[in-house]
Amino acid sequence: MFPESVHCLKTAAPFFPQTVLLKDLRRLCTHGGASHVQPSRHFAVSRPLAAKVPPPRKPRERVEIPGLEMVTYGERMHFVPGLSKPVNPQWERDYKDPRYYKAPPAHEMPLFKEKPCFVYNQRTSALEGVRQALWLTKTKLIPGLPPQLLSLTESPANQIPDQDERVQNAIKHARFWDTTQERPGKEKYSNTLLFNLLHLCATLQSSHPGIGRRILSEKYSLAATWKRGEDLFQIRGQNGLLQNCMDPLPEVSGKQEVGHTADQVLETLYPVSPTIDLQQVHMYKEQLNCTGFRDDYPYPHAHTLYFLDGADATCKLRPEQFRAKMLMFAFGNALVRAHKLYGSQPQRVLDRPITVQAVGTNGRIFQFLVLQLNTTDLSGDDGIKNQVWLDENVELYDFAKVRPLIKKKQVKVPAGLAGYKPEVFSKFLALYLHGAV
Amino acid sequence: MMALSCLTRALRSLTLSQPALFSSQAITQTRLGTQGPKAVGQCRGFLTTTCLEQNRTSWKQTEKYTTRPMGMKKTGGRDQSGRIRTHGIGGGHKQKYRCIDFQRLRYERNNNAQPFEEKVVEVRYDPCRSADIALVAGGSRKRWIIATENMQAGDIIKTSGVIGHMAVSANEGDAYPLGALPVGTLVNNLEIQPGKGSEYIRAAGTSGILLRKVNGTVILQLPSKQQVQVLETCMVTVGRVSNIDHNKRIIGKAGRNRWLGIRPSSGLWQRKGGWAGRKIKPLPPMKVYVNLPSISAQ
Repeated sequence: MFPESVHCLKTAAPFFPQTVLLKDLRRLCTHGGASHVQPSRHFAVSRPLAAKVPPPRKPRERVEIPGLEMVTYGERMHFVPGLSKPVNPQWERDYKDPRYYKAPPAHEMPLFKEKPCFVYNQRTSALEGVRQALWLTKTKLIPGLPPQLLSLTESPANQIPDQDERVQNAIKHARFWDTTQERPGKEKYSNTLLFNLLHLCATLQSSHPGIGRRILSEKYSLAATWKRGEDLFQIRGQNGLLQNCMDPLPEVSGKQEVGHTADQVLETLYPVSPTIDLQQVHMYKEQLNCTGFRDDYPYPHAHTLYFLDGADATCKLRPEQFRAKMLMFAFGNALVRAHKLYGSQPQRVLDRPITVQAVGTNGRIFQFLVLQLNTTDLSGDDGIKNQVWLDENVELYDFAKVRPLIKKKQVKVPAGLAGYKPEVFSKFLALYLHGAV
Repeated sequence: MMALSCLTRALRSLTLSQPALFSSQAITQTRLGTQGPKAVGQCRGFLTTTCLEQNRTSWKQTEKYTTRPMGMKKTGGRDQSGRIRTHGIGGGHKQKYRCIDFQRLRYERNNNAQPFEEKVVEVRYDPCRSADIALVAGGSRKRWIIATENMQAGDIIKTSGVIGHMAVSANEGDAYPLGALPVGTLVNNLEIQPGKGSEYIRAAGTSGILLRKVNGTVILQLPSKQQVQVLETCMVTVGRVSNIDHNKRIIGKAGRNRWLGIRPSSGLWQRKGGWAGRKIKPLPPMKVYVNLPSISAQ
């Protein structure tokens, strides 16, 4: 500050003798106060030279010596160099204001528990996919759908008149006609296709009155808790479209096969722990079991879950992780139903195994899943296991192109629907009609 | 007399009650005087701008480790003052940074100092370095490490901090302390100080050689043929670093260099001095990173 102020004084007042001026200035300006000020604020004209960013300075450590009282300048009401800064007691608002609420630290919250709980939610992408889900749910995998389900659609009574043509129309509507743009987006067409197929299946209601005892529901929050080994697991989230039914699904495999599963050994995931990618929480409610509906809901039994791949834009799951999610949520629904029927104590064998189905699609490729819950005693690795029939990666059609694929002036794939496979829809219909035939 | 009057005049100017003005300031005051006396009282001048020369902010937002790739800010060779510190850097394809865990011997929370195994989930290209990186999963955590030569998805790699009496026959990709490995093994990701994390031999295709073991310390040869002496508890991984053909690649065109973020060098012809040309020198003396007790202390 000195050179500039000296300079301006020099230019302003040439009649001041220089020596006096400088000495006086130095004396006068040493107190560092507001010298030669104008009534307006002035900004310092100096700028520091280029230097490194100073490291963040740690505030001086305040040492508390018991028995020794610090002399503060609090009483004097102004800063006094040499005295310590007064420490005021923490002021707490005596009324509740939601704008200024500070949550207590984690271990003071009422629901805090030392033991962590591993939560599987709808955005979890399990590293090992279906293998990890099988271990977590103590399930045995059987590839392919159960034969009695597949034989359901073989009789013409369980088929829709003009089935192939109507399904192809449904696909064309979803992929080509349902937009004002050139082609609809993936989330849109997978959603439209699913609802079109459901509508087609529901046209059989006249001949199958059981279909009338069902209802579709969306955005319900599921929560189920179970113990596996030493750890507590929970499955929570809003999974997808659920078809509820007034009557439970019949069991798929008999008591003998269920007994045979006791001899099977679960596949271990070593060196990866089965809790990988699961959300670890310390604040949870124990024994949290919630179907998502109230107890007096007229359609208590979960029939089929429908999962759409593109439903959550932020969460993109690979096919393996998508199948794992389907399995986990089907298991969650079945487990919650078992807890409601048989109580929350683990049961070694359920008298009536609970069956839940799941269908997942990305608009073209379908995954079918049938889960039968045989036991709720999941803490040990031995004993009766649950069963799951999984049919993965079945394509409903090969191509649905808006513009034909032409390579070297030859049409490789024509425009429109190509490669339609009718058996996939019969599987879909079989899963739909299961329980109503 | 004159001096006294000057002094008094100067002193009067400093009174807080009446701001006295010098002539140039008086001119400015009269110009602004039409606005009337300012309501703002006297105040200490203060700097209202921060130093604009220090524009170094870190683009890293989290302290926690995550396997998600994060967006990176390029420096262009500029340092915190904004001037070029290193020439020839700038532009190039955008790169996302994947946090690599260089401290291989990092135990999980539940595991207390036991050797552990991890499974390689995937091996992929990393834009930020010449070597490939591998996502490994062990226990309930995943992390990125520098991949070794023949690492593939599905491999199991072991990390151990134990030094036994016998040397371990190590497989490629495993990490052991230097004292546990036999002499002559090819190693990479060398730690100079135990627990600090590896800082040496991380580039594509490089490997160091374990030369000999001398009570409590180990002597290694780095890829530059420089010899180095470190404590035997320092962790190291076995094998060569991945992407061994990195030095054999042909850039092909200037554009590819620009994609890599390398700007052209100065075209000014400069007379080559003593720094240029092939040098044949004896090896530099061995660098010792161990505080050995001096020989004089008997």
